Amino acid sequence: MAIDSDVLVVGGGLAGITAAIAASREGADVRLVSHKASTLRQASGLIDGLGYVPATEPAKPLREGPPTAGRNLDPDEWPDPEGPLAEPYAGIDSLPEEHPYRLVGADALRDGLALFDDLVGDAYVGGHTDRNALVPTFGGGVKPTARYPESVAAGLASDDRPMLIVGFRSLTEYDARAFADRLEASGVPFDVAGVEVEFAEAFRADAKITRFAKALDRNEPVDGTPAREALAKAVAPHLHDVVDDDGNVDRVERVGFPAFLGDDEAAAVRADLADRLGADVFEIPMGPPSLPGLRLEDRLYDALDAEGVRFETGIPVVDYETDADGRIQHLLLNRKGSKIPYGADAVVLATGGLVGKGLDSDREGVREPVLDLHVPQPSDRYEWFVDDAFGEQPYARFGVRPDERLRALDENGAVAYGNVWVAGAVVGGADVAREKSASGVSLATGLVAGQEAAREVRQ
Amino acid sequence: MDDQVDVVVVGGGSTGCGVIRDLARRGLDAVLVEKGNLTHGTTGRMHGLLHSGGRYAVSDQKSARECIEENRVLRDIAGHCVEETGGMFVKRPEDSEEYFQEKLEGCRACDIPAEVIDGEEARRREPYLARDVEKAIVVPDGAVDPFRLCVANAADAREHGARVETHAEVTDVLVEDDEVVGIEIEHDTGPGKRVHREPGTTEEIRARYVVNATGAWAGQIGEMAGVDVEVRPSKGVMTVMNTRQVDTVVNRCRPKGDADIVVPHETACILGTTDEEVDDPEDYPEEEWEVDLMIETLSELVPALKDARTLRSFWGVRPLYEPPGTGTDDPTDITRDYFLLDHNERDDLPGMTSIVGGKLTTYRMMAESITDHVCEKLDHDADCDTADAPLPGSEDFSVLRDYMDEFGLRSPVGRRSAQRLGSRADEVLKGSDPNPVVCECEGVTRAEVQDAIDGAGSDLNAVRLRTRASMGNCQGGFCTHRIAAELTQEYPGGVTRDAEDELYQERWKGQRHALWGRQLSQAMLNHMLHATTMNRDGDLATTDADVDFGAFDAGPDGTVGGGTGADDAASGVTATDGGHDGDR
Amino acid sequence: MTRDTGHDDGDERHGTNNTDESTEGSSHSDGVVRTDGGSDIESDDRTATDGGVESVTGGSDSTELDPDAYDPIDVFPEGELDLRDGADSCYKCTSCDTSCPVAEVDDEFPGPKFQGPEQWRLKRKEDADIDESITSCSNCMRCDDACPSSVPLSQMHNEARGQFVEEQMEKLSVEYVRNRILANYRTSARLASIVPRLSTYAMNFGPARWVMDKTLGIPKEREFPEFATTTFREWWRDRGGAQVSNPDKRVAYFHGCYSNYNTPEVGKAMVRVYEHFGYEVMVPPQKCSGTPMFANGMLKDARRHAVTNVENLIEAIGEGADVIASCTSCSMSLRQEYPELFDIHGIEDVSDHTFEALEYLRIHEDLTGALEEASPGDERSYAYHAPCHARNQGLSRQAVETFRDVDGVTMEDVGDSCSGISGTYGWKSEKYEKSMEIGEEMFHHMEDAEGEVGMTECPTCAMQMEHGTGYEIEHPLQLLEDTLVA
Repeated sequence: MAIDSDVLVVGGGLAGITAAIAASREGADVRLVSHKASTLRQASGLIDGLGYVPATEPAKPLREGPPTAGRNLDPDEWPDPEGPLAEPYAGIDSLPEEHPYRLVGADALRDGLALFDDLVGDAYVGGHTDRNALVPTFGGGVKPTARYPESVAAGLASDDRPMLIVGFRSLTEYDARAFADRLEASGVPFDVAGVEVEFAEAFRADAKITRFAKALDRNEPVDGTPAREALAKAVAPHLHDVVDDDGNVDRVERVGFPAFLGDDEAAAVRADLADRLGADVFEIPMGPPSLPGLRLEDRLYDALDAEGVRFETGIPVVDYETDADGRIQHLLLNRKGSKIPYGADAVVLATGGLVGKGLDSDREGVREPVLDLHVPQPSDRYEWFVDDAFGEQPYARFGVRPDERLRALDENGAVAYGNVWVAGAVVGGADVAREKSASGVSLATGLVAGQEAAREVRQ
Repeated sequence: MDDQVDVVVVGGGSTGCGVIRDLARRGLDAVLVEKGNLTHGTTGRMHGLLHSGGRYAVSDQKSARECIEENRVLRDIAGHCVEETGGMFVKRPEDSEEYFQEKLEGCRACDIPAEVIDGEEARRREPYLARDVEKAIVVPDGAVDPFRLCVANAADAREHGARVETHAEVTDVLVEDDEVVGIEIEHDTGPGKRVHREPGTTEEIRARYVVNATGAWAGQIGEMAGVDVEVRPSKGVMTVMNTRQVDTVVNRCRPKGDADIVVPHETACILGTTDEEVDDPEDYPEEEWEVDLMIETLSELVPALKDARTLRSFWGVRPLYEPPGTGTDDPTDITRDYFLLDHNERDDLPGMTSIVGGKLTTYRMMAESITDHVCEKLDHDADCDTADAPLPGSEDFSVLRDYMDEFGLRSPVGRRSAQRLGSRADEVLKGSDPNPVVCECEGVTRAEVQDAIDGAGSDLNAVRLRTRASMGNCQGGFCTHRIAAELTQEYPGGVTRDAEDELYQERWKGQRHALWGRQLSQAMLNHMLHATTMNRDGDLATTDADVDFGAFDAGPDGTVGGGTGADDAASGVTATDGGHDGDR
Repeated sequence: MTRDTGHDDGDERHGTNNTDESTEGSSHSDGVVRTDGGSDIESDDRTATDGGVESVTGGSDSTELDPDAYDPIDVFPEGELDLRDGADSCYKCTSCDTSCPVAEVDDEFPGPKFQGPEQWRLKRKEDADIDESITSCSNCMRCDDACPSSVPLSQMHNEARGQFVEEQMEKLSVEYVRNRILANYRTSARLASIVPRLSTYAMNFGPARWVMDKTLGIPKEREFPEFATTTFREWWRDRGGAQVSNPDKRVAYFHGCYSNYNTPEVGKAMVRVYEHFGYEVMVPPQKCSGTPMFANGMLKDARRHAVTNVENLIEAIGEGADVIASCTSCSMSLRQEYPELFDIHGIEDVSDHTFEALEYLRIHEDLTGALEEASPGDERSYAYHAPCHARNQGLSRQAVETFRDVDGVTMEDVGDSCSGISGTYGWKSEKYEKSMEIGEEMFHHMEDAEGEVGMTECPTCAMQMEHGTGYEIEHPLQLLEDTLVA
């Protein structure tokens, strides 16, 4: 017998979770399945809405024909992006027509962010305004984002209080001095200094970020001193390192650390450090492994549990069966060797993009591997890219094209299967990296796809 | 400038580096100039085969004999640059038996140790070989790291008093009274190490003799001196696989052809190659069919290649030369031999000799013969010892020591580091505390990166070539910023940022040719990391955007300086990028 | 990619076959084969994990290559599995490291990414040495679940550990001897259960424990599990075997060592619940699933046991049965590690037909319907911990979702942390503290939970839960029995 639900959501990332909860709140019986643990743990934990409208021309190599050796890039040939946008909704109309935001509209983004605010409660900040925040991240630059973890709040770039950036010699992700230099070069309205201190050095050089978080969570002794105290002691001598334009010492009012300040006990760790330093403490969002991403994942899965959504991870969809009308009747999931049918009236595909493996490719082309949905693409793979790594990369916009209700479309523009909705990175048309829109696209499309799928079931 | 040196060598490839070492060891005052990094031209763009001579055993036995002779020399003097992988010529059922026998006889005629094994034995040694491989000839091919080899030659030359200038492009060859008397160069960022944002300078170097060792670029230098050097540049593709499918060099045993060799190189395998004449050694098409051909054809030998991960492809240009009047159409027919063109004899222009043709394996022999030639010109009497004196890094070389215990390195990291550093391992690895791994894919630690920065300045591509950092799976996605951060100790932020962008873009170039499957996923992940999280594409420190910080969210309390309203223009700050305008 | 590690399977297999199992087992042999073939369930013909190399077509000169031109199975005749190509799938995202419970507490452990794809990629064929830190991996396999690219992490770890133990570990060292004893739990348990009370007492006797700690490195803080006075198999024999005969619904029960020797009540619950649903239960002869041996790099031992298990289970499958395990590590081993590490005839079939006990009922029976009206009779609150090995099988939520709507039952998930014991990991003195540090989060969450009884599918997790909180721990099958059968 099949395992049945009204709405079956495939994919356990932000879009899948949003779709599942949105559908559940519409009254549907929802089940979420995912092949692997969520890739949220790779993400910085920032929830972007829309930060830039990147230039979309030229979308071709600078010169006709194949790439040539020795061609030097001239960045001046590329128009600058529009941004950073102080407000995410304003830029939506400037995006290309097939962009998911254009399909679902600004309200979907607004509602998606509102749902997110509701799910995460006070763990995130940003819901008080329509504006983007500029947040320093581990490269040392600032980026626009719509919501940020509470742990990041004291680091905003529009805040003019003097800032100290802390780095560790055994941590290679950034050098705090270069970090501060980049912030200054970015023209931030505050004075800043960077300092490399000893703390992480007490651990073996290849210790993981999660190790530091755990040590701070448990306040383990580090060379005999409790971890939080040891960290504060290492930083304390530098609280007067910041010097203003006139050469006067500017007492540090906020201190930024790599985002490893605890996992389960993160708030207590920060409070303890802030207390000891007499300054606000904030985390700098990092690349993977990302504690803020991990914390967000935990919180969202708790929300999924609380909303009554059933979910299973560790089992991939390997096949599907359709009914006489061509609608998806069952998805077949591989439970370590056996294909088990999961029945559903509606399917939401939120399997991710090239990173999450919701899109697959070989030298011949790019595919959507679960339902073989149509993925528009240039037939020649040498037209999938341009020469500037940060240019208008066609590959970055690969994905399934849906209608405005987010039903997947086939190559003729007709609705595929009839009961398949798509959400998140599997949806094409956005360059979420350059737009700083990844989470927003997942929230907006997840919300709409979940609601639409549930409404379809109710009919 | 009155200072006149004995010899200036133009070109920092294997030939130029070999020549400067030989000249210096013979006591001549010499300068090497190279417009890019060492190996920038052709040397750094080859598959890294240390020839046994087997490949030439039928078509060009003179070259074959030279190869095996020099192969033996390099194992002795450059142990830390060579991996003694061994090699084989494998025969598939459709390959000619007659040619197989010719190859075997050719090897024997040239004193190349050659042994025939059957298909089963071949697969026992290389399990990924296709099951229908019939048999193979085993020869002493090896893998050589061309960059390490050139750096070691240059380092030895320096120790013997020579000057080596990279990123120093020749802008003119000085001819006075119908004689070459020196060159004019332009230092990209001033003499010495390359450091971003330092202003360029020009310099005149007068010399008693000029050696043009620029390979495929020899015609351009010749032109500056007013002589014709008819090099016929021929391009070839090399496709880099993520892992080693084979641990020995696998050659296809058939007459000349494209896509007939797989060379294990460090952590990767390199597939080669094509042979197509091009007009300009710096501007030629890098084509899709070439990459496809490597994978399709070589998977006949090693089927796993078909689905294995490709990291990138790069192209090199062979400096082929044929004496006037030979009239060969197909570049594969052009000899791989080398030629000394004495411009005095040839063009009545004394003071300069060009060296063209040849191959990496015999670089030392070529260097010896041109150094002999120069010594004769300068009437300088000294013997060559480059075949006996080990290169720096290869003295008393042993990788068997336990670096894990000594330097706290994990065993594969320690082993690879020691292999790269050779006898310098102690000196380099003890240098940094703490010593975290900076490039995880290739197991490169901070100590090695810092050592490379000492030698290469802020040029992270040179650091990459010295250490292999950023040459693994992620192609710099996870380490470009880490390597750049290592510059902070010595250089200001702007230099770090430029160096970071340059390395990232360089890594992207090669990946474009591998942009499908797993490398496409990697590219997207890298894009997400660098554009989404780091906002490198919109970096306010390098773009011209004027940002009103006051227009952005300053927190829910609204108590802080930026304010919460767009009208709060007082605190709107315009980006003043600290004088680093137009970085990108 | 599969292969055959062992060369020495023969003798010991035949030796032990004559002892307990073949005499007490009640394997059915009425020869009836299930006819409907389980209409919804298709066996998945999985290809080798190196995907599709067989399909290579020729290039310029050759026509299509022989499809057998490349067969990964006998690629490594020496028995060493070369997993360097497994590094191809890694895009370095570090999700595996983030999920590693050992790296959180032990900075000497470099994490699964290093141990797996990085170490393998940096390795060369002739390199013998594996970094010693591989022995700190507890084989919880959470990295497998975390990896979005399906890098065969635990397979790489298992293989590296096997090579380390085989080639680098001093065979007479105390550590080796201790690990071998821990890995071969079944052997000690079988001996102990002959005189169970004495064994429980003797093994937990103070001075004896001090000696074990000092000489073998088995931490004195740990209490050896109690040995049942009647093993599951003895009970099964005494009750006369199966009490339901049904050629259309058959299952072969893989009880594993622990349900047999220590917690026969779980095995009994399995039998009663399955019989309640009309299944004919078979209990074929069986040995250790291999889980503790993989974790200790004793691949040859594991293979020897696997040969017996596969032989007997394949026979039951031939008689129409699916294989049911009540321990999530046993089901994990049969489903994943077996085909990854060994090339034994029929091993893929066993993998495809194996299920966990609750999972199987949720797929094949209307469990929700059956539980709708049912209740265990009294109010019960459980603090449920999902074992790490349940994750990759999609089982981490099954107990919560099955029971949360049952009358009188409160089932609280205590979160996704690892219990820290990981089979034999927590049984080593040098790892004991780390094991408890890993478990700390779970202990806290259990204490925060309303329930005073713990629940999990894994016997060693249960041990750790009990050790850390003093709670009594149950298996979901026991609650199912109380709710449906009693």
